[in-house]
Amino acid sequence: MKKYFKDWKVFALCFGMVVVSELIGSKPVKLGPVSFTLLPMLYALLLGIVLFKVKVIDQESMKTASPYITISVMFLTAKMGSSIGPELGKLFESGAALIVQEIVKKFIFVFISVPVGVLILRMGREVVGCGFSTNRENAIAIVGNLYGLDSAEGRGVMGGYITGTVLGTIFSGLLASLVCGLGIFHPYALAMGAGVGSASMMSVNMAATIEAFPEMQLEIEAFTAGAQVAGSVMGMYLTLFISVPLANFLYKILGGKGENQAKKGKKGREKKTAGAAH
Amino acid sequence: MTLTWFTKMKVLVMTGIFASIANYISTYKAGDPVYPWDIIPGMLFLLVAILLGCLVEQLALKVKIKLPNIIYISLISILMGVPQLFPFAETYVAEIDKISLLALCTPILAFAGISIGKDLDEFRKQGVGIVIVALITIGGLYLGGVVTAQLMLMATGII
Repeated sequence: MKKYFKDWKVFALCFGMVVVSELIGSKPVKLGPVSFTLLPMLYALLLGIVLFKVKVIDQESMKTASPYITISVMFLTAKMGSSIGPELGKLFESGAALIVQEIVKKFIFVFISVPVGVLILRMGREVVGCGFSTNRENAIAIVGNLYGLDSAEGRGVMGGYITGTVLGTIFSGLLASLVCGLGIFHPYALAMGAGVGSASMMSVNMAATIEAFPEMQLEIEAFTAGAQVAGSVMGMYLTLFISVPLANFLYKILGGKGENQAKKGKKGREKKTAGAAH
Repeated sequence: MTLTWFTKMKVLVMTGIFASIANYISTYKAGDPVYPWDIIPGMLFLLVAILLGCLVEQLALKVKIKLPNIIYISLISILMGVPQLFPFAETYVAEIDKISLLALCTPILAFAGISIGKDLDEFRKQGVGIVIVALITIGGLYLGGVVTAQLMLMATGII
Protein backbone atom coordinates (compact mmCIF):
# COMPACT_ATOMS: atom_id res chain seq x y z
CA MET A 1 0.00 0.00 0.00
CA LYS A 2 2.79 2.38 0.97
CA LYS A 3 4.47 2.35 -2.42
CA TYR A 4 1.29 3.53 -4.13
CA PHE A 5 1.22 6.71 -2.10
CA LYS A 6 4.90 7.59 -1.81
CA ASP A 7 4.17 10.72 -3.87
CA TRP A 8 2.04 12.18 -1.05
CA LYS A 9 4.43 15.11 -0.78
CA VAL A 10 3.66 16.24 -4.33
CA PHE A 11 -0.06 16.23 -3.57
CA ALA A 12 0.44 17.98 -0.24
CA LEU A 13 2.51 20.68 -1.95
CA CYS A 14 -0.04 21.02 -4.75
CA PHE A 15 -2.89 21.30 -2.24
CA GLY A 16 -1.09 23.94 -0.21
CA MET A 17 -0.14 25.93 -3.31
CA VAL A 18 -3.71 25.81 -4.65
CA VAL A 19 -5.22 27.00 -1.36
CA VAL A 20 -2.69 29.82 -0.84
CA SER A 21 -3.01 30.95 -4.49
CA GLU A 22 -6.80 31.02 -4.37
CA LEU A 23 -6.82 32.80 -0.99
CA ILE A 24 -4.71 35.58 -2.50
CA GLY A 25 -7.20 35.66 -5.39
CA SER A 26 -7.28 37.53 -8.71
CA LYS A 27 -5.59 40.91 -8.47
CA PRO A 28 -5.96 43.55 -11.16
CA VAL A 29 -2.66 45.39 -11.63
CA LYS A 30 -2.26 48.79 -13.22
CA LEU A 31 1.18 50.07 -14.12
CA GLY A 32 0.66 53.37 -15.90
CA PRO A 33 -1.04 52.59 -19.20
CA VAL A 34 -0.42 48.87 -18.76
CA SER A 35 -3.12 46.92 -16.98
CA PHE A 36 -3.41 43.20 -16.48
CA THR A 37 -4.82 40.72 -14.02
CA LEU A 38 -2.71 38.45 -11.88
CA LEU A 39 -4.50 35.11 -11.61
CA PRO A 40 -4.21 32.44 -8.90
CA MET A 41 -2.66 30.05 -11.42
CA LEU A 42 0.27 32.44 -11.89
CA TYR A 43 0.82 32.55 -8.11
CA ALA A 44 0.85 28.74 -8.09
CA LEU A 45 3.67 28.80 -10.63
CA LEU A 46 5.61 31.49 -8.76
CA LEU A 47 5.10 29.68 -5.44
CA GLY A 48 6.80 26.69 -7.07
CA ILE A 49 9.88 28.78 -7.79
CA VAL A 50 9.90 30.25 -4.27
CA LEU A 51 9.49 26.82 -2.65
CA PHE A 52 12.30 25.48 -4.84
CA LYS A 53 14.58 28.36 -3.78
CA VAL A 54 13.95 27.69 -0.09
CA LYS A 55 14.58 23.97 -0.80
CA VAL A 56 11.11 22.76 0.18
CA ILE A 57 10.73 21.00 -3.18
CA ASP A 58 13.21 18.16 -3.69
CA GLN A 59 14.42 16.63 -6.98
CA GLU A 60 12.22 13.58 -6.56
CA SER A 61 9.05 15.66 -6.21
CA MET A 62 9.97 17.68 -9.29
CA LYS A 63 10.42 14.55 -11.39
CA THR A 64 7.22 13.04 -10.02
CA ALA A 65 5.14 16.15 -10.65
CA SER A 66 6.26 16.54 -14.26
CA PRO A 67 3.98 13.88 -15.84
CA TYR A 68 1.18 14.91 -13.48
CA ILE A 69 0.87 18.15 -15.45
CA THR A 70 -0.04 16.14 -18.54
CA ILE A 71 -2.60 14.10 -16.59
CA SER A 72 -4.27 17.03 -14.85
CA VAL A 73 -4.45 18.96 -18.14
CA MET A 74 -6.96 16.36 -19.33
CA PHE A 75 -9.55 18.04 -17.06
CA LEU A 76 -9.05 21.25 -18.98
CA THR A 77 -9.40 19.40 -22.28
CA ALA A 78 -12.69 17.80 -21.22
CA LYS A 79 -14.00 21.05 -19.72
CA MET A 80 -13.25 22.98 -22.91
CA GLY A 81 -14.79 20.31 -25.09
CA SER A 82 -18.03 20.58 -23.10
CA SER A 83 -18.41 24.20 -24.17
CA ILE A 84 -18.06 23.33 -27.87
CA GLY A 85 -21.03 20.96 -28.20
CA PRO A 86 -23.79 23.61 -27.95
CA GLU A 87 -21.70 26.03 -30.02
CA LEU A 88 -20.92 23.65 -32.89
CA GLY A 89 -23.15 25.59 -35.30
CA LYS A 90 -21.24 28.84 -34.85
CA LEU A 91 -17.94 26.99 -35.15
CA PHE A 92 -18.91 25.49 -38.51
CA GLU A 93 -19.80 29.00 -39.70
CA SER A 94 -16.26 30.08 -38.83
CA GLY A 95 -14.73 26.93 -40.23
CA ALA A 96 -12.69 28.57 -42.96
CA ALA A 97 -11.46 31.35 -40.67
CA LEU A 98 -10.50 28.85 -38.00
CA ILE A 99 -8.56 26.64 -40.37
CA VAL A 100 -6.80 29.46 -42.25
CA GLN A 101 -5.72 31.20 -39.03
CA GLU A 102 -4.47 27.88 -37.71
CA ILE A 103 -2.33 27.30 -40.81
CA VAL A 104 -0.99 30.87 -41.07
CA LYS A 105 -0.17 31.31 -37.39
CA LYS A 106 1.89 28.13 -37.29
CA PHE A 107 4.60 29.54 -39.56
CA ILE A 108 4.19 33.32 -39.97
CA PHE A 109 6.29 34.18 -36.89
CA VAL A 110 9.25 32.22 -38.27
CA PHE A 111 9.82 35.21 -40.60
CA ILE A 112 10.65 37.24 -37.48
CA SER A 113 12.13 34.73 -35.04
CA VAL A 114 14.87 33.30 -37.30
CA PRO A 115 16.06 36.64 -38.79
CA VAL A 116 16.24 38.19 -35.30
CA GLY A 117 18.23 35.20 -34.08
CA VAL A 118 20.64 35.13 -37.03
CA LEU A 119 21.10 38.83 -37.84
CA ILE A 120 20.77 40.53 -34.45
CA LEU A 121 21.62 37.89 -31.87
CA ARG A 122 24.23 36.11 -34.05
CA MET A 123 23.01 32.70 -32.99
CA GLY A 124 24.02 29.38 -34.51
CA ARG A 125 21.64 26.60 -35.44
CA GLU A 126 20.10 26.86 -31.98
CA VAL A 127 17.84 29.46 -33.57
CA VAL A 128 16.34 26.82 -35.86
CA GLY A 129 15.56 24.63 -32.86
CA CYS A 130 13.86 27.33 -30.83
CA GLY A 131 12.54 29.53 -33.64
CA PHE A 132 10.25 27.25 -35.64
CA SER A 133 7.57 26.68 -32.99
CA THR A 134 6.57 27.64 -29.48
CA ASN A 135 8.85 24.89 -28.17
CA ARG A 136 6.32 22.66 -26.48
CA GLU A 137 6.45 18.87 -26.17
CA ASN A 138 5.67 18.17 -29.81
CA ALA A 139 8.53 20.46 -30.87
CA ILE A 140 10.93 18.43 -28.73
CA ALA A 141 9.63 15.28 -30.40
CA ILE A 142 10.14 16.78 -33.87
CA VAL A 143 13.65 18.10 -33.16
CA GLY A 144 14.62 14.89 -31.37
CA ASN A 145 13.48 13.00 -34.41
CA LEU A 146 15.12 15.15 -37.08
CA TYR A 147 18.34 16.28 -35.37
CA GLY A 148 18.66 14.51 -32.04
CA LEU A 149 18.42 16.42 -28.78
CA ASP A 150 22.21 16.59 -28.31
CA SER A 151 22.56 18.81 -31.40
CA ALA A 152 22.57 22.61 -31.63
CA GLU A 153 18.93 22.45 -32.68
CA GLY A 154 18.29 20.25 -29.66
CA ARG A 155 19.82 22.81 -27.31
CA GLY A 156 17.65 25.43 -28.94
CA VAL A 157 14.42 23.56 -28.47
CA MET A 158 15.26 22.54 -24.89
CA GLY A 159 16.17 26.12 -23.99
CA GLY A 160 13.01 27.29 -25.68
CA TYR A 161 10.99 24.70 -23.81
CA ILE A 162 12.37 25.87 -20.50
CA THR A 163 11.82 29.51 -21.45
CA GLY A 164 8.23 28.68 -22.31
CA THR A 165 7.74 26.78 -19.07
CA VAL A 166 9.24 29.46 -16.88
CA LEU A 167 8.30 32.67 -18.68
CA GLY A 168 5.75 31.58 -21.28
CA THR A 169 2.67 31.81 -19.10
CA ILE A 170 3.55 35.16 -17.60
CA PHE A 171 4.63 36.58 -20.97
CA SER A 172 1.50 35.26 -22.71
CA GLY A 173 -0.76 36.62 -20.00
CA LEU A 174 0.75 40.10 -20.17
CA LEU A 175 0.73 40.19 -23.98
CA ALA A 176 -2.85 38.92 -24.23
CA SER A 177 -4.07 41.47 -21.67
CA LEU A 178 -2.41 44.24 -23.67
CA VAL A 179 -3.78 43.06 -27.03
CA CYS A 180 -7.30 42.55 -25.66
CA GLY A 181 -7.21 46.07 -24.22
CA LEU A 182 -6.32 47.66 -27.58
CA GLY A 183 -9.92 47.56 -28.76
CA ILE A 184 -8.88 46.74 -32.35
CA PHE A 185 -9.72 43.06 -32.49
CA HIS A 186 -13.06 41.28 -32.33
CA PRO A 187 -13.47 38.93 -29.33
CA TYR A 188 -13.89 35.96 -31.71
CA ALA A 189 -10.52 36.71 -33.34
CA LEU A 190 -8.89 37.12 -29.90
CA ALA A 191 -10.46 33.86 -28.78
CA MET A 192 -9.12 31.97 -31.81
CA GLY A 193 -5.67 33.48 -31.43
CA ALA A 194 -5.72 32.39 -27.77
CA GLY A 195 -5.66 28.72 -28.81
CA VAL A 196 -1.87 28.51 -29.07
CA GLY A 197 -1.49 24.82 -28.25
CA SER A 198 0.20 25.00 -24.84
CA ALA A 199 -2.53 24.48 -22.24
CA SER A 200 -1.16 26.97 -19.72
CA MET A 201 -0.52 29.72 -22.28
CA MET A 202 -3.91 29.08 -23.87
CA SER A 203 -5.50 29.37 -20.42
CA VAL A 204 -4.01 32.76 -19.66
CA ASN A 205 -4.73 34.05 -23.17
CA MET A 206 -8.33 32.95 -22.89
CA ALA A 207 -8.65 34.28 -19.34
CA ALA A 208 -7.49 37.69 -20.57
CA THR A 209 -10.06 37.60 -23.38
CA ILE A 210 -12.88 36.63 -21.00
CA GLU A 211 -11.73 39.34 -18.61
CA ALA A 212 -12.09 41.91 -21.41
CA PHE A 213 -15.42 40.55 -22.71
CA PRO A 214 -17.09 38.78 -19.76
CA GLU A 215 -20.53 38.71 -21.42
CA MET A 216 -19.14 36.52 -24.23
CA GLN A 217 -17.53 33.87 -22.06
CA LEU A 218 -19.25 30.88 -23.70
CA GLU A 219 -18.45 31.98 -27.26
CA ILE A 220 -14.85 32.77 -26.30
CA GLU A 221 -14.40 29.35 -24.69
CA ALA A 222 -15.86 27.69 -27.77
CA PHE A 223 -13.68 29.55 -30.27
CA THR A 224 -10.53 29.05 -28.22
CA ALA A 225 -11.32 25.37 -27.79
CA GLY A 226 -12.01 25.12 -31.52
CA ALA A 227 -8.64 26.65 -32.38
CA GLN A 228 -6.98 24.44 -29.78
CA VAL A 229 -8.54 21.28 -31.19
CA ALA A 230 -7.89 22.30 -34.80
CA GLY A 231 -4.32 23.06 -33.78
CA SER A 232 -3.83 19.73 -32.05
CA VAL A 233 -5.09 17.89 -35.13
CA MET A 234 -3.18 19.86 -37.77
CA GLY A 235 -0.36 21.40 -35.74
CA MET A 236 2.17 18.57 -35.80
CA TYR A 237 1.97 18.25 -39.60
CA LEU A 238 1.98 21.99 -40.27
CA THR A 239 5.06 22.31 -38.05
CA LEU A 240 6.81 19.36 -39.65
CA PHE A 241 6.06 20.24 -43.29
CA ILE A 242 6.00 24.07 -43.25
CA SER A 243 7.62 25.61 -40.16
CA VAL A 244 10.77 23.47 -39.92
CA PRO A 245 11.69 23.71 -43.64
CA LEU A 246 10.96 27.46 -43.55
CA ALA A 247 13.22 27.97 -40.52
CA ASN A 248 16.00 26.01 -42.27
CA PHE A 249 15.52 27.96 -45.50
CA LEU A 250 15.65 31.35 -43.77
CA TYR A 251 18.70 30.34 -41.75
CA LYS A 252 20.50 29.35 -44.95
CA ILE A 253 19.67 32.43 -47.05
CA LEU A 254 20.48 34.76 -44.16
CA GLY A 255 23.93 33.20 -44.00
CA GLY A 256 23.74 31.58 -40.61
CA LYS A 257 26.99 30.01 -39.50
CA GLY A 258 27.79 26.38 -38.86
CA GLU A 259 27.22 23.23 -40.87
CA ASN A 260 23.75 22.00 -41.58
CA GLN A 261 22.96 19.46 -38.90
CA ALA A 262 20.12 18.11 -41.00
CA LYS A 263 22.67 15.96 -42.86
CA LYS A 264 23.28 14.08 -39.65
CA GLY A 265 19.57 13.37 -39.43
CA LYS A 266 19.94 9.60 -39.41
CA LYS A 267 21.90 9.65 -36.20
CA GLY A 268 19.27 11.66 -34.44
CA ARG A 269 16.42 9.54 -35.64
CA GLU A 270 17.36 6.78 -33.24
CA LYS A 271 16.89 9.06 -30.28
CA LYS A 272 13.16 9.34 -29.99
CA THR A 273 12.12 11.44 -27.04
CA ALA A 274 9.90 10.27 -24.25
CA GLY A 275 8.31 13.67 -23.75
CA ALA A 276 6.01 13.42 -26.75
CA ALA A 277 2.75 13.18 -24.80
CA HIS A 278 1.23 16.23 -26.45
CA MET B 1 7.25 7.06 -19.70
CA THR B 2 4.37 4.76 -19.08
CA LEU B 3 1.94 5.82 -16.43
CA THR B 4 -0.22 3.19 -14.87
CA TRP B 5 -3.97 3.55 -14.76
CA PHE B 6 -3.63 3.68 -10.99
CA THR B 7 -1.36 6.74 -11.18
CA LYS B 8 -3.64 8.36 -13.72
CA MET B 9 -6.72 7.80 -11.55
CA LYS B 10 -4.93 9.00 -8.42
CA VAL B 11 -3.78 12.23 -10.08
CA LEU B 12 -7.19 12.79 -11.69
CA VAL B 13 -9.12 12.32 -8.44
CA MET B 14 -6.73 14.54 -6.47
CA THR B 15 -6.79 17.21 -9.19
CA GLY B 16 -10.60 17.08 -9.14
CA ILE B 17 -10.64 17.57 -5.36
CA PHE B 18 -8.10 20.41 -5.45
CA ALA B 19 -10.00 22.12 -8.27
CA SER B 20 -13.27 21.82 -6.29
CA ILE B 21 -11.62 23.54 -3.33
CA ALA B 22 -10.11 26.20 -5.61
CA ASN B 23 -13.56 26.69 -7.15
CA TYR B 24 -15.08 27.08 -3.66
CA ILE B 25 -12.50 29.61 -2.47
CA SER B 26 -12.71 31.75 -5.63
CA THR B 27 -16.53 31.74 -5.73
CA TYR B 28 -16.66 32.42 -1.97
CA LYS B 29 -14.41 35.45 -2.44
CA ALA B 30 -16.66 36.60 -5.30
CA GLY B 31 -19.60 36.44 -2.87
CA ASP B 32 -21.49 33.53 -4.45
CA PRO B 33 -19.98 30.33 -3.04
CA VAL B 34 -20.24 27.10 -5.03
CA TYR B 35 -19.62 24.29 -2.51
CA PRO B 36 -17.36 21.39 -3.52
CA TRP B 37 -20.28 18.92 -3.33
CA ASP B 38 -22.32 21.08 -5.73
CA ILE B 39 -19.92 20.29 -8.54
CA ILE B 40 -19.49 16.55 -7.90
CA PRO B 41 -21.78 15.69 -10.87
CA GLY B 42 -19.79 18.04 -13.13
CA MET B 43 -16.48 16.56 -11.97
CA LEU B 44 -17.78 13.02 -12.55
CA PHE B 45 -18.92 14.00 -16.06
CA LEU B 46 -15.42 15.36 -16.79
CA LEU B 47 -13.87 12.19 -15.38
CA VAL B 48 -16.08 10.02 -17.62
CA ALA B 49 -15.06 12.02 -20.71
CA ILE B 50 -11.37 11.75 -19.73
CA LEU B 51 -11.48 8.01 -19.06
CA LEU B 52 -13.39 7.30 -22.27
CA GLY B 53 -10.79 9.37 -24.12
CA CYS B 54 -7.92 7.41 -22.53
CA LEU B 55 -9.69 4.15 -23.37
CA VAL B 56 -10.06 5.17 -27.02
CA GLU B 57 -6.37 6.18 -27.01
CA GLN B 58 -5.40 2.68 -25.78
CA LEU B 59 -7.63 0.99 -28.36
CA ALA B 60 -6.24 3.21 -31.13
CA LEU B 61 -2.69 2.28 -30.06
CA LYS B 62 -3.61 -1.39 -30.53
CA VAL B 63 -4.26 -0.68 -34.21
CA LYS B 64 -1.10 1.46 -34.40
CA ILE B 65 -2.83 4.85 -34.42
CA LYS B 66 -0.81 7.21 -32.22
CA LEU B 67 -2.43 10.56 -31.62
CA PRO B 68 -2.28 12.85 -28.58
CA ASN B 69 -5.15 12.02 -26.20
CA ILE B 70 -6.36 15.64 -26.27
CA ILE B 71 -7.98 14.77 -29.62
CA TYR B 72 -10.01 11.87 -28.20
CA ILE B 73 -10.96 13.54 -24.93
CA SER B 74 -12.08 16.79 -26.54
CA LEU B 75 -14.01 14.95 -29.25
CA ILE B 76 -15.86 12.83 -26.68
CA SER B 77 -16.57 15.87 -24.52
CA ILE B 78 -17.84 17.81 -27.55
CA LEU B 79 -20.15 14.99 -28.61
CA MET B 80 -21.55 14.50 -25.08
CA GLY B 81 -22.65 18.15 -25.15
CA VAL B 82 -24.57 17.92 -28.44
CA PRO B 83 -28.31 17.76 -27.57
CA GLN B 84 -29.20 16.07 -30.88
CA LEU B 85 -26.91 13.16 -30.00
CA PHE B 86 -27.43 12.64 -26.28
CA PRO B 87 -30.57 13.29 -24.19
CA PHE B 88 -28.38 14.21 -21.20
CA ALA B 89 -26.35 16.74 -23.17
CA GLU B 90 -27.94 19.78 -21.53
CA THR B 91 -27.34 18.37 -18.03
CA TYR B 92 -23.77 17.56 -19.04
CA VAL B 93 -23.05 21.13 -20.17
CA ALA B 94 -24.94 22.76 -17.26
CA GLU B 95 -23.20 20.70 -14.54
CA ILE B 96 -19.73 21.28 -16.00
CA ASP B 97 -20.53 24.97 -16.40
CA LYS B 98 -20.66 25.26 -12.58
CA ILE B 99 -16.92 24.53 -12.48
CA SER B 100 -14.79 27.60 -13.17
CA LEU B 101 -12.17 27.08 -15.84
CA LEU B 102 -9.69 29.17 -13.85
CA ALA B 103 -10.17 26.97 -10.78
CA LEU B 104 -9.27 23.94 -12.89
CA CYS B 105 -6.11 25.71 -14.04
CA THR B 106 -4.78 26.36 -10.53
CA PRO B 107 -3.88 22.75 -9.61
CA ILE B 108 -2.40 22.19 -13.09
CA LEU B 109 -0.12 25.20 -12.73
CA ALA B 110 0.71 24.10 -9.19
CA PHE B 111 2.03 20.79 -10.57
CA ALA B 112 3.97 22.82 -13.15
CA GLY B 113 5.28 25.01 -10.33
CA ILE B 114 6.49 21.98 -8.38
CA SER B 115 8.41 20.61 -11.36
CA ILE B 116 9.75 23.99 -12.54
CA GLY B 117 12.82 23.92 -10.29
CA LYS B 118 14.62 21.19 -12.23
CA ASP B 119 14.41 23.35 -15.37
CA LEU B 120 15.71 26.52 -13.71
CA ASP B 121 19.39 25.51 -13.58
CA GLU B 122 19.50 24.45 -17.22
CA PHE B 123 17.62 27.61 -18.07
CA ARG B 124 20.39 29.78 -16.59
CA LYS B 125 23.00 28.04 -18.71
CA GLN B 126 21.14 28.79 -21.95
CA GLY B 127 21.86 31.92 -23.86
CA VAL B 128 19.81 35.07 -23.73
CA GLY B 129 19.25 34.58 -27.47
CA ILE B 130 17.23 31.43 -27.00
CA VAL B 131 15.03 33.22 -24.47
CA ILE B 132 14.38 36.14 -26.82
CA VAL B 133 13.69 33.95 -29.86
CA ALA B 134 11.43 31.66 -27.81
CA LEU B 135 9.42 34.66 -26.60
CA ILE B 136 9.15 35.95 -30.19
CA THR B 137 7.66 32.62 -31.25
CA ILE B 138 5.14 32.67 -28.38
CA GLY B 139 4.10 36.26 -29.08
CA GLY B 140 4.22 35.74 -32.83
CA LEU B 141 2.01 32.67 -32.76
CA TYR B 142 -0.60 34.50 -30.69
CA LEU B 143 -0.52 37.75 -32.69
CA GLY B 144 -0.37 35.90 -35.99
CA GLY B 145 -3.45 33.93 -35.01
CA VAL B 146 -5.39 36.98 -33.81
CA VAL B 147 -4.60 39.07 -36.90
CA THR B 148 -5.28 36.24 -39.36
CA ALA B 149 -8.51 35.32 -37.57
CA GLN B 150 -9.64 38.97 -37.61
CA LEU B 151 -8.95 39.27 -41.36
CA MET B 152 -10.60 35.92 -42.13
CA LEU B 153 -13.70 36.67 -40.03
CA MET B 154 -14.03 40.04 -41.79
CA ALA B 155 -13.49 38.47 -45.22
CA THR B 156 -16.14 35.81 -44.59
CA GLY B 157 -18.58 38.40 -43.21
CA ILE B 158 -18.96 36.83 -39.75
CA ILE B 159 -17.94 40.01 -37.94
